[in-house]
Amino acid sequence: MHPQDDVTHPMVSIPFSKKKHYLTGIDWLLQGFDCMNKRATGAGNAFQIVMELEGVPAEDRVRDALDGFVKKFPVLGGRTRRDYNLAPYWEIPRRAHNTSSRLDVHRLEDAAEAFPLLEAGVNAPFGNEREHVAFCLIHAGSNGHAAVKFDHRLFDAHGAEVFLGMFQRDWEKGGGCRWESPPLEPAHLDQWRKRFEAGRNLNRALLRLVGDSPPRALPLDPAASREGFGFSVIRFDQQQSREILQRAESEAGYLMAMPYTMALAVQALHGIFAGRGITAGDYIVPVTMDTRLPSDRPREVFFNHVSLLLFRIRADQADDRSALLKSIKQQMYDQAKAGLARSIPDASLLMRILPLPAVEYLLKLYLKQRIASFCFSFLGDTGHMPDRFMENKVRHSYHMTRVPVPPGLGVFFQHSRGSLNACLSYQRGLLGEAEVNRVLDALRSGLQG
Amino acid sequence: MGETSITEIERLLVAEVASILSIDPRAISVDAPLHSLGMSSMAFVELLVVIEKTFDLKLMETDLKKEDFQAIRSLASCIHRMT
Repeated sequence: MHPQDDVTHPMVSIPFSKKKHYLTGIDWLLQGFDCMNKRATGAGNAFQIVMELEGVPAEDRVRDALDGFVKKFPVLGGRTRRDYNLAPYWEIPRRAHNTSSRLDVHRLEDAAEAFPLLEAGVNAPFGNEREHVAFCLIHAGSNGHAAVKFDHRLFDAHGAEVFLGMFQRDWEKGGGCRWESPPLEPAHLDQWRKRFEAGRNLNRALLRLVGDSPPRALPLDPAASREGFGFSVIRFDQQQSREILQRAESEAGYLMAMPYTMALAVQALHGIFAGRGITAGDYIVPVTMDTRLPSDRPREVFFNHVSLLLFRIRADQADDRSALLKSIKQQMYDQAKAGLARSIPDASLLMRILPLPAVEYLLKLYLKQRIASFCFSFLGDTGHMPDRFMENKVRHSYHMTRVPVPPGLGVFFQHSRGSLNACLSYQRGLLGEAEVNRVLDALRSGLQG
Repeated sequence: MGETSITEIERLLVAEVASILSIDPRAISVDAPLHSLGMSSMAFVELLVVIEKTFDLKLMETDLKKEDFQAIRSLASCIHRMT
């Protein structure tokens, strides 16, 4: 550490360094999920944003633009460390690391080969411990794809979209954009009473949620664990998306697209559980919620600015859309009233003392070894997803998310530039091909009325 | 709360929306749709919780439509009507 890096943060009386971004409890939870996925599948907790392009930019121009852009963010070449005060932090190198990102280029004869390639890309582990972003360019005839894989330890879905928007702006200005260094997170080694109260709040909520029986979950196939995840994406054009969101509003209420799409996801997956004869337990569904304030959205690019809502869905209500919506909205209301979404970031700070395998153990202990039935999120239009990748128009974009294992199953909605899409993500072996098609059909028909 | 005027309810809602979204209350128009201010599902539910605590109204359980909810002016008018 250089002497000029030593400063004292007003909130904590210990020195901290400009090279240290302390991890929040949510970041540590995401590190725990990364650890779980590496153990279960050989690769960490990553997601990929795919942009389908009109035409494809030249490889050397992409490489030059990316190299210049990535060098502006030394944080991209960071890694996790634990400080002498036991708080985990992200060690930020003084300069951008030359192995912190990579670009793979593929040329295909047949455009149908692109999707398996994209699946392989998101399922591949990062090249080294300092690589957290990987770019991929696919030429398929006159069109193509630009895909960017993000390490979930360093980016959440919203931050990744902002990052891509920043790349586009930088390219449009010939690499001349400058950004302030991201704000450093302090160690949060204070306000222990508040943290413990949040922990008590969360503990009670979890115990109420779990009840006596483990959540309904599909059995994982250990033999298929190294095959990664399969993905299926349903896309809707702008007109279809408007109709779906209008239907959500009339059926679930104003600003209630999340509960509406979640109810459809429950119904679609309930058919698979019922078809397999899995009838024990209710559904437990964690839902990721963005916690950025509107004013912070363009600035909070790196790390995870999310919390969780946890829903228990009675299996005997899964066929009744109206009952499902009522239950989901009520639970959302109750959790907002109890301040659960705010308690989780506070309470999870307490977990940072634990080594990552212990985080995994604790999560499984609470949720009877099964963690959840499936994961869900609805990413609203961030307004930051670019409509072009360099000079090429983006026709569609979607997210491919590797889900923590267990449960290894997730449904993720994304609304971007007026178009809605849904991605079913499942660990290979968890769903058969016919089951995947049934889920997609059920989602499609539910969404389109 | 039955005697609270619509203007007072609007003022209170502006303050709460500003607090939830951490924005300047002076930047909030009472006619602006809430989603245009950057309000998410969760932030909206937090606003409904405040309304329950302040006015003893459980709006989540009512049949109010988008027109009632979507701007502070219409929401204040509904609250005034129901209290």
